[in-house]
Amino acid sequence: MAINARYLFGEAWSIARSGARQTILAVALIALGLYVPGLLVLLSGNLGRLATMGGEPPSVVATLEASADAQAVAARLAADPRVERVRVVTSPEALDRFRRSYPDLGAALAELKEAPFPPTVEVYVKPASSADSPKVAEEARRLPGVESADSEEGFDRRFQEAVRVLRGAGFFLGGLLTVAAILSVASAIRLALDLHRDEIEIMRLMGATEGAVRAPFWLYGAFEGLTGGALALGLLFATYAGVSRFLFLHPHPVLSIFWARFLDWRISSAMPAAGMAAGFLGSVLSLGRKAKVSV
Amino acid sequence: MIELYHVSKEYGRFRHALTEVTCKVERGEFVFLTGPSGAGKTTLLKLLFREEAPTSGQIVVNGRNIWVLPGSQVPYFRRTIGVVFQDFRLIGRKTVFENIAFVQSVLGLPRAEQRRRAYQVLKRVGLHHQMNAYPQDLSGGEQQRVAIARAIVNEPALLLADEPTGNLDPVLSEEIMRLFGDINVRGTTVVVATHDLEMIRRMGKRVLTLERGRLREGAPPAPLIREAPFLPRG
Repeated sequence: MAINARYLFGEAWSIARSGARQTILAVALIALGLYVPGLLVLLSGNLGRLATMGGEPPSVVATLEASADAQAVAARLAADPRVERVRVVTSPEALDRFRRSYPDLGAALAELKEAPFPPTVEVYVKPASSADSPKVAEEARRLPGVESADSEEGFDRRFQEAVRVLRGAGFFLGGLLTVAAILSVASAIRLALDLHRDEIEIMRLMGATEGAVRAPFWLYGAFEGLTGGALALGLLFATYAGVSRFLFLHPHPVLSIFWARFLDWRISSAMPAAGMAAGFLGSVLSLGRKAKVSV
Repeated sequence: MIELYHVSKEYGRFRHALTEVTCKVERGEFVFLTGPSGAGKTTLLKLLFREEAPTSGQIVVNGRNIWVLPGSQVPYFRRTIGVVFQDFRLIGRKTVFENIAFVQSVLGLPRAEQRRRAYQVLKRVGLHHQMNAYPQDLSGGEQQRVAIARAIVNEPALLLADEPTGNLDPVLSEEIMRLFGDINVRGTTVVVATHDLEMIRRMGKRVLTLERGRLREGAPPAPLIREAPFLPRG
């Protein structure tokens, strides 16, 4: 037998109202449970973009003077038997690469008369010689036209590792807090069940099916989770917008570059969905034990 | 309509609420169930409604052995029965209308139709002006009438009433009994558990008497009536 939607929503709303404080607490816990990992995903997402903006990371980056012959420097570096290949990145190419990685900031650079990035030569050392990257950088520094040369390999590896750890921590914390959120919903439902125990009994005696008794609680749990997820997303966006505004007013050389993009639509829509799933799971877990028929 | 075969109900080892009860109530009958407090009247009604399980024996209601009925079918079985509980069992957070229209609302009957039926049935118990009141705002007698209205709103095949006039004055009790009589005339089998022997006499219907868990046909003997400490009003 299908359960009437009006009855279903009416009962779910009535359950929510009867334990308003528990409902608010559960929604807040779900929101917190999704906000914290969401924030870490936002941070790691932007950092990760910064780390991978140039594709495969070079071992050494040699920054050239404006008047330098980039092709000549590249040829000299490529002649080193430890080097696998080299790549010249001109100023316009560097700007183009930046615009692709940061579409939101690229427009701000369009008005500049001169390209803001100097030409560089990216050196890729053979895997067997990766330990020699600092030596290659040192030799590159002595070449005419080279302003500076740094071994990027160690830094890049550590940076990527840090991003991975941050992302992992986000997912771990997210998992932990989601479990807490599920338990808090289950606890709110248990309390609602205790408040409604007598009337559930009456409903059963009047001929309500198990579905008609349980479905409003499932709906209540799912909506609680959905609200918590939406709230977390809203808070996250408010945080992003707040930090962006702060950085606009008080530009920072590093933060202003990396804090450039909000969560993509998949993760954004996954947050309310995850909240809803957590709420529904919490109510199912709770009802599974509590709402058994006594006869 | 109702058949009981050697039905016993025990609570623990020493409390025998019903012992070897065997009886039959035909479709369309009006039967009074009487006896002193603790005789087992409420227990018997609970068994008929499948609110409780018998310790032994068989219960057949409307041609179905209700203790072999699958759990999923019990709600549908209960919808064919109207029950007036001794303690009313109204839902405090729902209005009178919502209490009465509960099953119809689960089933998705249009709201206007729910209201129409609730109004009709409340008019029959004299409470049509209280549709939107909450049970706690009503007197005991009014709550009892709401419970009666809820029991009859779906025109059940069987109506079980446990002390349905316990909180009503004689005039209203008479009115409610007339209402039960009307429902019975329309084909509903009615079983009323009551202490009110005066009313039983006035109605002139079949009487089943329970004494210490044992059932016998006919009204209780005069001494039992006199000895009963709860003796009926009127």
